[in-house]
Amino acid sequence: MIQVRGVAKTYPVPGGEFPALSGVDLAVDAGEFTAVVGRSGSGKTTLLNLLAGIDRPTAGEVRVAGTAVHEVRETQLAAWRGRAVGLVFQFFQLLPTLTVAENVMLPMDFRGTVAARRRRPLALELLDRVGIAEHADKVPAGLSGGQQQRAAIARALANDPPVILADEPTGNLDSATAAAVLELFRELARAGKAVVMVTHERDLSGYADRLVTLVDGRVAGDVAVTA
Amino acid sequence: MRPRTVKMWRDLSAARGRVAVMILAIAVAMSGVGALLIARTVLVREAAAVYVGTNPASATLEVEGGVDAALLAQVRTRPGVTDAAARQTVLTRVRVGDQWRRMLLFVIAADDPMRVAKLRMESGAWPPADGELLLERTAEPVLDATAGDRLAVAGPSGATTEVRVSGTVYDAALAPAGQESVGYGYLTPAGLARLGFTASADELRIVTPARDQASVEATASAVAAWLTAQGREVHQIKAPPYQHPHHSQSETITGMFLAFALAALVLAGVLVAATLGGMLAAQTRQIGIMKTVGATTGQLLRVYLGAVAAIAATATVLAVGPALLAGYGLTGLVAEMLNVEIANRAMPWWVPATYVGAGLAIPLAVALVPLVRAARITVRAALDEHGAGTGVGSRRSDRWLTRLRGGRLSTLALRNLLRRRGRLALTLALLAAGGAMFTSGLNSSAAWRSWVDDGMARRAYDAQLRLTSSAPADAIARAATAVDGVVAAEPFVSLVATPATADGRIEVQRTYPDDGHGRFLLAALPAPTRMVDFEVTAGRWLHAADTDGVVLNQSAVSRLGDPHLGDDVHLAVDGVVGRWRLVGTVAEAGGPATAYTTPQSVARFVDPGTANMLHITTTGDTEEVTDAVEASLATAGLMVGESMLIADLRTAIDEHVAVFIGTLLALAALMAAVGILGLAATMSITVTQRTREYGVMQAIGARPATIRRMVLLEGTLTGLLGSLVAIVLGVPLSVLVGELLGTISFGLPLPLRLSPVGLAAWLLLSVAAAAVATLVAAHRAARLTIRETLSYQ
Repeated sequence: MIQVRGVAKTYPVPGGEFPALSGVDLAVDAGEFTAVVGRSGSGKTTLLNLLAGIDRPTAGEVRVAGTAVHEVRETQLAAWRGRAVGLVFQFFQLLPTLTVAENVMLPMDFRGTVAARRRRPLALELLDRVGIAEHADKVPAGLSGGQQQRAAIARALANDPPVILADEPTGNLDSATAAAVLELFRELARAGKAVVMVTHERDLSGYADRLVTLVDGRVAGDVAVTA
Repeated sequence: MRPRTVKMWRDLSAARGRVAVMILAIAVAMSGVGALLIARTVLVREAAAVYVGTNPASATLEVEGGVDAALLAQVRTRPGVTDAAARQTVLTRVRVGDQWRRMLLFVIAADDPMRVAKLRMESGAWPPADGELLLERTAEPVLDATAGDRLAVAGPSGATTEVRVSGTVYDAALAPAGQESVGYGYLTPAGLARLGFTASADELRIVTPARDQASVEATASAVAAWLTAQGREVHQIKAPPYQHPHHSQSETITGMFLAFALAALVLAGVLVAATLGGMLAAQTRQIGIMKTVGATTGQLLRVYLGAVAAIAATATVLAVGPALLAGYGLTGLVAEMLNVEIANRAMPWWVPATYVGAGLAIPLAVALVPLVRAARITVRAALDEHGAGTGVGSRRSDRWLTRLRGGRLSTLALRNLLRRRGRLALTLALLAAGGAMFTSGLNSSAAWRSWVDDGMARRAYDAQLRLTSSAPADAIARAATAVDGVVAAEPFVSLVATPATADGRIEVQRTYPDDGHGRFLLAALPAPTRMVDFEVTAGRWLHAADTDGVVLNQSAVSRLGDPHLGDDVHLAVDGVVGRWRLVGTVAEAGGPATAYTTPQSVARFVDPGTANMLHITTTGDTEEVTDAVEASLATAGLMVGESMLIADLRTAIDEHVAVFIGTLLALAALMAAVGILGLAATMSITVTQRTREYGVMQAIGARPATIRRMVLLEGTLTGLLGSLVAIVLGVPLSVLVGELLGTISFGLPLPLRLSPVGLAAWLLLSVAAAAVATLVAAHRAARLTIRETLSYQ
């Protein structure tokens, strides 16, 4: 589902160029929950941004859900992303003036993947799946952090993308809520999604299938996680 | 409703204050646009309709000895003539209370079929009895008379005869009597004879099927040649443009005002763009998020354009009422000024269509660029936006900012002011554009007053008297100076002249039947004269030794086709053509086209040493002294046919443009309102966007009051800077407006005058508005807790 080959990413800085990633190779299959770990500045978020088409590699190839993301034009990236990738952020990033259900319906609206009359029932279904259906008509500010993250996950699933990318999704949650969110990702992977999560969490046993460690922009470890 | 639409409405609802400012700005501008669209369209159409409705004469030929019925019948059969009428116009005076008023008597035969230069009876009936006349309806207030009243009308000897007002008529071809300070009366030849005048229908009015100037002039010249061949002398041919006397001025000025109003709308569009740009800048992360869930640039752009369209549509609808009120109000005022009766107030379909089109399209077009820029932001750039930091110091041009030194607060305020230079430029542009138009409106008004004041000051006389016939100049002067209160008296010669060609052919005049609009005079003043000191715009004023020198005022220069100094000028007086050499040109406020020359150069037209006009300078009550001078002249056997006080001339000049100056000032206020609203909106955005930064400052110990002071200082500096730019930009704009207004009104550009009141008002207004707008936003920001400000997105 995801193939990363020989990817490098450098950023211009006042003193020259900063290599955020160098020679990264990675493949993630459908149904696999992969956690990418590493210290701050190790290149985790850069890798995730490349997978989501938010950034472009300086060298190498990024293929996600059958698309060579590094070749897609900027104007077409949003449409591709809406269909192929579901993104989850550390600070949830729900739109504050929309209700939770409306937030979930927004990707369907932009991509037109679901008939208008089917959008709300589907949004409620997704919210039920993540366990917050009763909060569907509240605005995000009225929800706890964990509930907001669940809403964000429901939104990421709105267009039924094959790939879920999550950037520190538990970084702003207490440990119990974080565990619940990780469990949700595991379920999604079991349901056939390729889930890639960038995280600081070290103890992912029981959730992730695989642990990729980045050090100074290079893959320093790639191990299967055992329960 | 789709979530994206829901989001748009809720975002607008959350920013109610700013949305209200945007709607208000567009609505204010649209009120002006709508009002001027209505006024211009209805006025131009109705003025043309009423003027054409009178079936005005295409040309009037002044025929020596008058035109009798037999000759008139023959003229009607001439090629190119569809109809003809014989009329007479006599200028006399009417006693109103203890004052004299000028009076134009239009003499029409009792059996005139009234097909040419038609009148509409408002009361009474045509023809009036011998001892009666009809008044043009606008003459009633001038003469303080209505149907049934009696008027004391002066005859050629100066003696008055009582005439009864039998009714009123509407003559749409005439400028309002009040504006011209003249009464208009209509009577039969028998009625005129009763006053002691000789009835002689010397104005042959012909109607031609073609109304273009060339065809009319060709037909009129052919009729004149035919009359000459019949042994009848034609002194003058008048062929006014086929439109109301004030038509082109009204059209040009309302056009200029419409351009002003459209500029205000563009300004309001910029305000919307700036405000929305600011709101979008605060929503950058949300735009990024929407793009991560699949929103394309086009989809986001459509959402935001929808917001602009909603704002513009609301404003356009809200402005309908004020636009209709102001539009028809202005139409009424200008119609009164033009003596135009509005028969049909309906506006053509394209007026509302243009109104709606402008109301929607201009704000959308102006907002398009910032909206496209906001919608095109990449996800990466959007997610990297943090709000507090703006990358200051990263640009090479920022480095000097860090070297700014001063008080702690002022340094911070100054650096903040200059760090978002794009926003600052937009704010200043808004303020400067609004302010420039505001100050140019007030400057033009000041220039107008200054020009008229100066023009009046250049006339040393307080009253001008016209005698019924020429008399020895020294006798006139003696009789005048014998009166107490006369400081100086200067007799001179003034003759109605007609521009002619070098081979002696009389040129067709563009004069209207009221003989005021388009009149050309030849005035022989003593050299040097003590009574006028016109500004010489080229060459020189007359010398005593000039035997054929002539000085033209700007209207005469224009009428004679812009001759150069040293050129020959040919003028005909009573059919006799004379030649003069142009020695200078002068600027003259008010008065008709006039060629000034010396007494000796008009010797071929009048007896040497005689005069028919008198200028007097008085002390005390000018009216009383003028009456006394008239009495003194009468005692000496010199009858006065007309007298005019300079104060009345001033009134006539002011009346011609009062509505236009008023409209200009109203538009200036409208511009100021839009500019101030723009400043308020952008200052509020600037402060709101820094909310997070204020949180950081409070976290490290800044008190809310300190933040308020810093922000207030920044806002005040912006207001000050914007108003200074406005004042500078207002100068060339004032020149432009002054050129247009002056050229239309006087044939010369208005001088540049800066209105100190206007400049000071703008300075105070913009600084105060900046302070208030900033304070409101700063107060709101300072009230937030540190936690609230730091979590502000």
